[in-house]
Amino acid sequence: MVPVLEAAVISYINNIYRMFSSITEGMAVTASYLFRRPATIQYPNKLETPLEEQLPDGYRGILQVDTRFCIGCRICESTCPINCITIAVEKDAQTGERFLTAFNIDISKCMYCGLCSENCSTSAIYHTKLFNAVTQDVEDLFIRFVDHPVVLYKLPRESDSKDIPKDFYGAIVKQRMKGQAHE
Amino acid sequence: MLKNQLSHLKPQATPFMEEMILNMGPQHPSTHGVLNFLIITDGEVIHQALPNVGYLHRGIEKLAEQTPYTTFIPFTDRIDYLSAMFANHVYVMAVETLANIEVPERGEYLRVIACELNRIASHLISTGALALDIGASTPFVHWIRERECINDIMEALCGARLTYSYMRVGGVSRDISQNIKDAVLKFLDHFEPIIDEYNRLISFNGIFIKRLANVAIISQVDAVNFGLVGPNLRGSGIEMDIRRAIPYGVYDRFDFKIPIGLGFQGTLGDSYDRYFVRILEMKESCSIVRQALETLPPGDIRTKIKRNLKIRENECYTCVESARGEMGIYLVSDGSDRPYRLKIKTGSFTAMSIVEKISQGLMVADLIALIGSLDVVAPEIDR
Amino acid sequence: MKNYADQLFRFLFQAPVETSSYALIWYGLFIFLVAGALLFFAANFAGITSFVERRIAARIQSRIGPNVVGPQGILQWVADGIKLLLKEDLIPDRADRFLFRTAPYFVFSGLFTAFVALPFGFGIVAADLNIGIYYIFAVTSLVVVGIIMGGWSSNSKWAMFGALRSAAQIISYEIPTALSLIPVILLTGSLSTQDIIKSQGGMPWNWNIFHSPFTLACFIIFFISALAEGNRIPFDLPEAESELVSGYNTEYSGFRFLVFPMAEWANLWVIGAMVSLTYLGGWQIPFVSIETLSGSPWLILLSVAVFAGKTSLVVFFIIQIRWTLPRVRVDQMTLVCWTYLAPVCLASIIGTMIWMLVFPWESMAGFVIRVIMSGIGAGAVIFYIMRIRYNYLSGKAAYEKMKGIPLWYPFWRLP
Repeated sequence: MVPVLEAAVISYINNIYRMFSSITEGMAVTASYLFRRPATIQYPNKLETPLEEQLPDGYRGILQVDTRFCIGCRICESTCPINCITIAVEKDAQTGERFLTAFNIDISKCMYCGLCSENCSTSAIYHTKLFNAVTQDVEDLFIRFVDHPVVLYKLPRESDSKDIPKDFYGAIVKQRMKGQAHE
Repeated sequence: MLKNQLSHLKPQATPFMEEMILNMGPQHPSTHGVLNFLIITDGEVIHQALPNVGYLHRGIEKLAEQTPYTTFIPFTDRIDYLSAMFANHVYVMAVETLANIEVPERGEYLRVIACELNRIASHLISTGALALDIGASTPFVHWIRERECINDIMEALCGARLTYSYMRVGGVSRDISQNIKDAVLKFLDHFEPIIDEYNRLISFNGIFIKRLANVAIISQVDAVNFGLVGPNLRGSGIEMDIRRAIPYGVYDRFDFKIPIGLGFQGTLGDSYDRYFVRILEMKESCSIVRQALETLPPGDIRTKIKRNLKIRENECYTCVESARGEMGIYLVSDGSDRPYRLKIKTGSFTAMSIVEKISQGLMVADLIALIGSLDVVAPEIDR
Repeated sequence: MKNYADQLFRFLFQAPVETSSYALIWYGLFIFLVAGALLFFAANFAGITSFVERRIAARIQSRIGPNVVGPQGILQWVADGIKLLLKEDLIPDRADRFLFRTAPYFVFSGLFTAFVALPFGFGIVAADLNIGIYYIFAVTSLVVVGIIMGGWSSNSKWAMFGALRSAAQIISYEIPTALSLIPVILLTGSLSTQDIIKSQGGMPWNWNIFHSPFTLACFIIFFISALAEGNRIPFDLPEAESELVSGYNTEYSGFRFLVFPMAEWANLWVIGAMVSLTYLGGWQIPFVSIETLSGSPWLILLSVAVFAGKTSLVVFFIIQIRWTLPRVRVDQMTLVCWTYLAPVCLASIIGTMIWMLVFPWESMAGFVIRVIMSGIGAGAVIFYIMRIRYNYLSGKAAYEKMKGIPLWYPFWRLP
């Protein structure tokens, strides 16, 4: 009987001790955070540099098309899992020259998977670092990249897609989104 | 109306005189998404808890039948938003197995690195959310902060923070740069001491142990019978890990332990075991990432495949050890460029099936601890 | 407060109140004035504490916290209050409308009447009741009536769960709360809050907490059960937001909802003031005797500052506990009360009685023991600070290597 009682008393006191010591440890951890730097940033008001500039280069943001370099192969259109890209290519009957007459991307549908830009042989379609696709109307996110028919780009003999400049800050798509918002 | 719904689910579950039906969810702070539990209770003690799933069904399996093999990858991100990499991995593995595509060694290593980082990120949410359900909000936010570091690495590696779409049939989409390698190593140096700090903050906290230890004990027999997988199964003391049992990729080249529940603070198979197994697994994942980065071979990251991949009539089952246990895909092809049938097996679904058995006699607060320790993610249950 | 009223009357009208025929009106006016001042203080304290708590919680969680409304976000609580005032006052269908509307008043009055007997400084107390502590216990119990009314009348199962848990909690924890103050009453021989403070001294070894190990135990028990009475983590079972959506106030909205959190934050002051006046020496200033204190208005102001400082420290500690600890389960809550707090408390009362006989307060042995006890207390504080330092340093190097910026960012530097 006595050893049982002794064990009970020891476990009773041990419980109290463990509770207090563990709570003190936890409190010491939280108190130490009062002296540590917060991890959050003050988006969007108090940023040192715009967030777009802090993103890494491979970031998959809003798609942008540089229609000057589009060869009209339609690979992006067929690869897109949700068919948010529509392309129209027309042929001039007299000269036989082919024109890009429509290149539309529905940004509101796009899921930023990167399959289209990966398969583009000239990097005409690529992801910018823009992520803030906010407009008054969801229709504004339907972006038409072609105003007037554009002559299709012809791949030079020794083509190197890396030479084609990419604008990661999305000037074209910004202007297109804004222009449509004003209409 | 509720009674009708209930009797449709399980006829004998009509409440007696003193009992009432407590409708927990789909909008409830700690059901981890949209889950519904019909709890028959007379107060705090649960007499029966019936899980009611299906609120987040999106028909991903049906979508697969309408999407070409190579373009289905972004959809797999959405199976389990906390560990999208594993769904990527298991899907491309299934297609590679059917189409007999060899993956370059470097690609396999990059897959391992990405998967293990994702496993850490997923376990961070799982263990943190359990602490949040128990009532401590700070550990969760600390883990979210650490997860942000992983998200930043993933952002540089894959281009997205949550829906990675990193894997491709035949390899991975991008190579790892020296900068990202350094960032990963720096993060691991920072993260490993933080695990100990987290343990001091919450894991070894007396109240936390009292809340989880000896609560919702799942015996080894039950764990196997109900088909539990992953950390839930290992929490019951069964050493079963797909990475070791059916080695896929290059997992057989790494040296890692498989943490199993030992009754750390109470009985074998209680909620604390399932929780602590995850904490230990994060440490193992850190060591796997280190090993993979050290022995990363040079070479290609991706085999070139035909853009319009067509697979002749065949079928296969592949599985990976995801953060929530075995995630498997059964893929049937019929010669066209899209799957004939795709079936996804996930860990959360089987974990939900055991709730009804284990929850009898628990209190309402314990049920929340049980759901948290089983680490169910609603979209993974319903797909 | 009566002598202040008398003095003010004599100063204004150059006549003693006793002989004036307006005495009743004057006292009545003064009561309203004091009540208004207390209400003003309590409401503002609750509001500012809500802001301070959010900022402390944010820093503990590596965040910044509200910093938009007003300079450094100091007016956040005003904005929140106005927002809640402008919201629709919804009453659920099939709720007991009368009880649902009445419940916040109970919570409100139960808590704010406790401020009457709380001292703020030397001689600054609305009513120096000779049953002060007893009175505070009695009126704060009214809060639970409001909570049960609100929870039951909401016609929601979650709210009823919260209300029932609250009932169980208050019934359990009234006992250790009251018992753990008996050593103080034994040492003082009075229930008046002013007398309790007067019997202590300015230095730690003159405080009740370090009188003996038993009073130290009782202090801890009182602190724990005060947390439970105030529905704070780890005992916030009535509104366990991850279990019972929001507990007893699930169905409340608008200003009626505002009363509940406001009472909770005002209750922080009550807890802090009770802890500091019973065990931590109240408004006693070190090296200043009560005779010199009563003569100088500046010293009286200093005593107010000392009291507010001690109370704020306790409040800070309670806030930090809330953002550190998980919540106990409902059966564990009562188990802790009946198996740990109540028996230890009873043993401590008997222990204190024997201790008082063996080592009287004035005796040399009693003094030495008090100094040793306060040394132990200081040691515990130093140990705690060393643990904070260890935690800070353990992650410093790796963090700075990873982020490339210094980790040091003290809480007094505001972003």
